[in-house]
Amino acid sequence: MFQALLVRKYLFSKIMPLLACTGVLLCVAMVLVIWSVMGGFLDLLIRSGRTTTGDVTITWPNVGFAHYDDLIQRLEKDPLVEAAAPLIETYGLIQLPTGRQEMVLVRGVDGPSFLQVTAYEDIIWWRPITKPLRKDVKGEDLRLDPKYTNNMNTVLQQGRTLTRIDEETGEAQPAMVMGIEVSRINAREAAGFYSPRVYRVRMPDGTMKDRDEFLPYTGEVVLSLLALDKDGNVVEQATRKVPIANEFNSGLFEADSKIVLVNITLAQQMLRMHAQQRRVQADGSDSTNSTKEAITPPTDDDGPIRSGPTKLIDEPARVTSVLIRGKGDLGDLGSAEALKARAEKIYAQFAKDHAGQVPDEFSITIATWEDQNRTMINAVQKETGLLLFLFSFLCIVAIFLIFAIFWSMIAEKTKDIGIMRALGASKFGVAGVWIGYGLAIGIVGSLLGAVLAMLIVKNINTIHDFLGSAFGLTIWNPEVYYFTEIPTRLDNFKVIGVVIAGILCSVIGAAIPAIRAARMDPVKALRFE
Amino acid sequence: MLLTASNIHKTYTLGKVAVPVLKGVAISVAQGECVAVLGSSGSGKSTLLHILGGLDSPDKSPQAQLTFDNRDLTRFSGSEINHYRSHDVGFVFQFYHLLPELDVLQNVLIGAMIHDGLGYSTAASERTAWAKELLTQVGLSHRLKHKPTELSGGERQRVAIARALINKPRLLLADEPTGNLDRNTGATILDMLDKLRADHQYTMVVVTHDAATASRANRVVRLADGLVVQSFAEAAN
Repeated sequence: MFQALLVRKYLFSKIMPLLACTGVLLCVAMVLVIWSVMGGFLDLLIRSGRTTTGDVTITWPNVGFAHYDDLIQRLEKDPLVEAAAPLIETYGLIQLPTGRQEMVLVRGVDGPSFLQVTAYEDIIWWRPITKPLRKDVKGEDLRLDPKYTNNMNTVLQQGRTLTRIDEETGEAQPAMVMGIEVSRINAREAAGFYSPRVYRVRMPDGTMKDRDEFLPYTGEVVLSLLALDKDGNVVEQATRKVPIANEFNSGLFEADSKIVLVNITLAQQMLRMHAQQRRVQADGSDSTNSTKEAITPPTDDDGPIRSGPTKLIDEPARVTSVLIRGKGDLGDLGSAEALKARAEKIYAQFAKDHAGQVPDEFSITIATWEDQNRTMINAVQKETGLLLFLFSFLCIVAIFLIFAIFWSMIAEKTKDIGIMRALGASKFGVAGVWIGYGLAIGIVGSLLGAVLAMLIVKNINTIHDFLGSAFGLTIWNPEVYYFTEIPTRLDNFKVIGVVIAGILCSVIGAAIPAIRAARMDPVKALRFE
Repeated sequence: MLLTASNIHKTYTLGKVAVPVLKGVAISVAQGECVAVLGSSGSGKSTLLHILGGLDSPDKSPQAQLTFDNRDLTRFSGSEINHYRSHDVGFVFQFYHLLPELDVLQNVLIGAMIHDGLGYSTAASERTAWAKELLTQVGLSHRLKHKPTELSGGERQRVAIARALINKPRLLLADEPTGNLDRNTGATILDMLDKLRADHQYTMVVVTHDAATASRANRVVRLADGLVVQSFAEAAN
């Protein structure tokens, strides 16, 4: 009982315990903030990957595989599968309205099914909104303006379908949805929203002209792709003007600056992966040489035609991937692995039924979202571990801080210790005062540290913006860290774990001084001056 | 006899030099008696008091004898010595030795908390009432919430006396209780100790270098150079 009274009195009577509390508080807050930012980074990395790829992907890169409609039907019949969608992935070159050329990752997607499999709907940027972004206190976001609501609805629909209505013909044309950072025509405001800006283009006569356009209304890019045959040989370079339907913002800078989505029909046509007829020898062998094949409609150069009887065969359309979304939230790896196992089983049967026409089940790549991002996820996990390891040294520093403070406090309180012993307190009882004191400092410091960490984590982007505007500091560069906002994830288990560790550190730091106090000779302690 | 000590030796080591402080002291105190240990500075009287109170132990020797109520203190374990100090003995020191963070009432109650351990929580109200009663007896009922730094030297010593009596000890050990006070205040404190002893019937050993203080005891033991050189009953008592 006397320990509780003395701990309470000591805790609020001196500056030293406040210093010790502050030390514990800062260590706990720092570890929690680091952990939550790295955790949020990892979380967002995984979620962003899933935003555009679903839970499990079946991939045969570059040349793709046929009969994907059949595969999708088979997958969607499975109770574990919510939906499946075709995807074509390749690299391409785009010429932006500014004249700049960009190498991009082109994903050919089917709007309706892509919407079902991924969180694409959430990342389409140009849409009418009613609530401003967190930092947009003045409500300057173009998307908020009621006079643009109809237009924004139109471009949203364009984004969903990856088409744009041709003003002259009135027909829907296959179109492109670019990552919001690809064109560099949109100015990213400090409040987090984008504003289309006037850009300069060089005219054919060499003069420069200002152009003020909203890309989803009138913008076009020139897309160049390399078409491969089913054996992976380059057939031709296809170049098309493609209207821009909308832009997307996944929050993952790498994706937003490097990925464009195009209508799958367009991608298939440009890559020669659409359904077509192919001429072959009557005996079934290729009618063309190894690098050129006859295609319908024919290209300028079909290559030398072999002699002998030939026939036309139907060649089905191909895609490079089928994306699968599982039922429910497949946040944990176990569920994604179960879905992957099911996809492997379904694909094995599919490959058997289409033997010779699609890659066998041993060659095809079937991967979860985590498999696909494993390199980056592992890197971030290792970086998190390394940071926590380094910051755990600070906890050791905190232990020494508590140790040093308690050591000097016990020297100061030597006479009090003698008094306690004279009144009959045992050695254990005296040690208990200082252990209890360390425990109290640990509890107060750790809890306040957790509260501070939660406040920092909750307002970290505001703090970052303030540091940027006040001191010109940009700690979180989106070009380095992929994300446009600092991600955080602070779960309760982490908080509890770090608080317990903070308390333990305090008790450990107090233990040796407490033993010293307990072993003091009471007579010497009473005579201490 | 309530307390008996014989052949008590105590040697301290200062660096490599052994300094004998007590050289075979013998003293007996009867139940209810007040004994003054009179001696000059360095005579070993405080050391003797600490040994009698279980704060210090005599040098190990087969001849050394130290008993309280016929129990051999030299054979007590650590926990038994703690129990002895908290249950049977009350200390009053020259420099009061109050805990500066605690107020007057808490300084008195801390002795009860150490005595009762976890049982204090159930007896808290009873113990608080007794502490207030003691503080009333020493004339400090109006200063319960004052810190020691807000009290005069005499008031601090009165708090120390109340703390020493909180557990109703059978033996009160006072080490120069007036040594840090002016003559008038010292006399008041001694009057108070006499009155309290009459009321509470405890045995008392007072260590002092002041003959006037010693003269209030039933018996005086004169200590010089680590030995009892004279023991006599005061005529006044």
